[in-house]
Amino acid sequence: MAPPVSTRPAASAAGAPAPPPGRRRRAPLLRAGTRRRALPWLLLAPALAVIAALLLFPLGRVLWLSVQDYGLDNVVSGRPDYIGLDNYAQVLGDRYLWTVALPNTVVFAAVAVAGTVVLGTLVALLLAELRPLVRTVVLGCVLVAWAMPAVSGTYVWVWIFDVDGGLVRQGLEAAGVVGPEGYNWFTDRLAFYAIAALNVIHHGFPFVAVTVLAGLLTVPRELHEAALLDGAGAWQRFWNVTVPTIRPVFAVVTILSTIWDFKVFAQVYLMPGGSGGNREVLNLGVWSYMQSFGQQSYGLGAAIAVLLTLMLLGITVAYLRALFRDEELR
Amino acid sequence: MTRIRALPAASAAAALALLATACGTGGGGEGQTLDVWIMEGTNPDATAYFEEVGRQFREETGVEVNVEFVPWADAHDKFTTAIAGNTMPDVAEVGTTWTLEFAEAGALLDVSDRVGDTGGYVEGLAEAGQVDGSLYGVPWYAGVRSVIYRTDVFEELDLEEPTTWAELRETAITISEERDNLTAFPVAGDAMYQMLPFVWGSGADVAEQGSDGTWTSGIDSAEAREGLTFYTDLALEDGVSSTGASTWLETDLQDNFISGDVAMMIAGSWTPAAILAADPELEGRIGAFPIPGPEGGYSPSFLGGSHLSVFNATEDPDFAWSYVELLTNDENARRWSEETTYFPGKTEQLEPYTTSDDPLVRPFAEQMAEAGRGLPASANFGKVQGDAVLQAMLQDILNEKASVEEATSRAAEEIEQTLNEGS
Repeated sequence: MAPPVSTRPAASAAGAPAPPPGRRRRAPLLRAGTRRRALPWLLLAPALAVIAALLLFPLGRVLWLSVQDYGLDNVVSGRPDYIGLDNYAQVLGDRYLWTVALPNTVVFAAVAVAGTVVLGTLVALLLAELRPLVRTVVLGCVLVAWAMPAVSGTYVWVWIFDVDGGLVRQGLEAAGVVGPEGYNWFTDRLAFYAIAALNVIHHGFPFVAVTVLAGLLTVPRELHEAALLDGAGAWQRFWNVTVPTIRPVFAVVTILSTIWDFKVFAQVYLMPGGSGGNREVLNLGVWSYMQSFGQQSYGLGAAIAVLLTLMLLGITVAYLRALFRDEELR
Repeated sequence: MTRIRALPAASAAAALALLATACGTGGGGEGQTLDVWIMEGTNPDATAYFEEVGRQFREETGVEVNVEFVPWADAHDKFTTAIAGNTMPDVAEVGTTWTLEFAEAGALLDVSDRVGDTGGYVEGLAEAGQVDGSLYGVPWYAGVRSVIYRTDVFEELDLEEPTTWAELRETAITISEERDNLTAFPVAGDAMYQMLPFVWGSGADVAEQGSDGTWTSGIDSAEAREGLTFYTDLALEDGVSSTGASTWLETDLQDNFISGDVAMMIAGSWTPAAILAADPELEGRIGAFPIPGPEGGYSPSFLGGSHLSVFNATEDPDFAWSYVELLTNDENARRWSEETTYFPGKTEQLEPYTTSDDPLVRPFAEQMAEAGRGLPASANFGKVQGDAVLQAMLQDILNEKASVEEATSRAAEEIEQTLNEGS
């Protein structure tokens, strides 16, 4: 997963301030207006160059791949085989996309994002109430979940849910919920994704907690005191005072969680049956990977990846627009 | 991968180059590094082995060898990713079922001229490395899967090694009834080589090429369905498997055998060494027998092994080839076989094993000699494997999402579609 976005103001990014206008002035190379317009771009240039090299180039390459019939032999020979939008037609015309891969991806992401944000916010509210020392201790414990690599975390959850002798099996058997023959929950689509959701929420909530906590600490005390005087309850104070004040923070964590949870890969691929043996549980990420590297249809895999990206862009834009329309209304 | 390694590699190369000019030693390969990929887990003590071979190679040529160990489960993806990203090694151990695929893609170097006559190699292995008479993979070693079992459990329950499918089933049921804490014969849902003997044993084949070049799959034939019904019913009807096994990989079988939870399993001739290394307590308590046929005889088992291939991207094919020769010479091959219990790829190096008295060698050698079988010789079969067609079929049956008829029909359709692609 990507590192958290720095919420620090970007003032220092500009580096040294422009030199004050001197007394003795030679004829300027460019007119002042042009210079003023060019300066930001000049200062942004290094960052843009890095982004172009690391992000735009691969993105363009995936786009270019997605309109080709690109197999292993093309990889070696380097000959492209342009087929227009055939890959997209094939993906969009595949029943598998509409009945399995897309529902798995979207429903899972919705549940995981809601779970992550709710749990993260609850933990943040708890942290905000604690004394500094206790808060540091709790925060430290919470961050361990975040620091754990996705692969290790997934194996731990698989181990906990081990069908024949895991902790959950033992507990359920002791409670009489499952019989001695057991039940392989990894073969069941819902149960499979419930376990994956636990894994992803557990791994993702610390980021939300820390970010929301930072937001909570900026809410002026007077607002809460005023609401308290007006007789607002705890829920009303949270919903009508806290949430509107730190709405941008929620926007950031929701969008980032959405992006991360839409493109989960390792957490699904590493679970029993998740690497292709059980066709019912693949999501878009794993499906794209299977097409690309299992079937060596890199073009088709790229088309799936492009569609996933477009979907994420669409969701992000819609979400941001909804958010800013609200802002204008108030 | 290369990018990450580039800096240390470059500085190492620079340092070595400086050393070489300073000392003026001969050999010609100073400062060069040969990247080699070897599958992980074949040899329990692989690191020591390759350090020794690397030392020999350095003395001979002056070239450093950088060996990277790749887990089998990820290897196919890693190869294709490397071919796509042009981060291929110079020499690699390539599974015999992949050689054709990588060769047709143009990633491997034709070594026919360097090898000359291939008559000295085990026939099936040399064939698996050839396309249109050109050799792309040098047979290195091979293995075959048979049944490995716990002799102590068999003795306590007074059981004999089964010689037919019916006896296999009876034996498993007895163990299952007598030993609550043991899984008698797990049917692993994500493992296709454990399933294939029951397809082949019934007389069917995964796919066959007709005279017109079209592939037809026999996985939906009456025979294959009978074999698969027998195999999956061991789990579904007789309960000699475990619930979790329906999503097990082959590695899960071995892990559970090592932890003492499994009485019988189909496993490779190379695994006893690894099992005993992981749990020395099992010494003297495990045995093996060839996979029985339905009415006696043997069920064929996948004759799998590895080639050594030189990749086209290598900077110096001569050094790469020297390394292949060094690994397959009599002395190194003998040591490799001793440490791994794999059988060598050269016929004359294989002879001592077929007459061995070792109870963990002889049954496998018999299986290999009498009932070894290859996968369909099509470059496209790698895609069938990559798409986990057979595993998906098996899991659908084991998890009762489809009947044997439905699951095999769909698998046959997918296999035929993939194999007949672009022909």
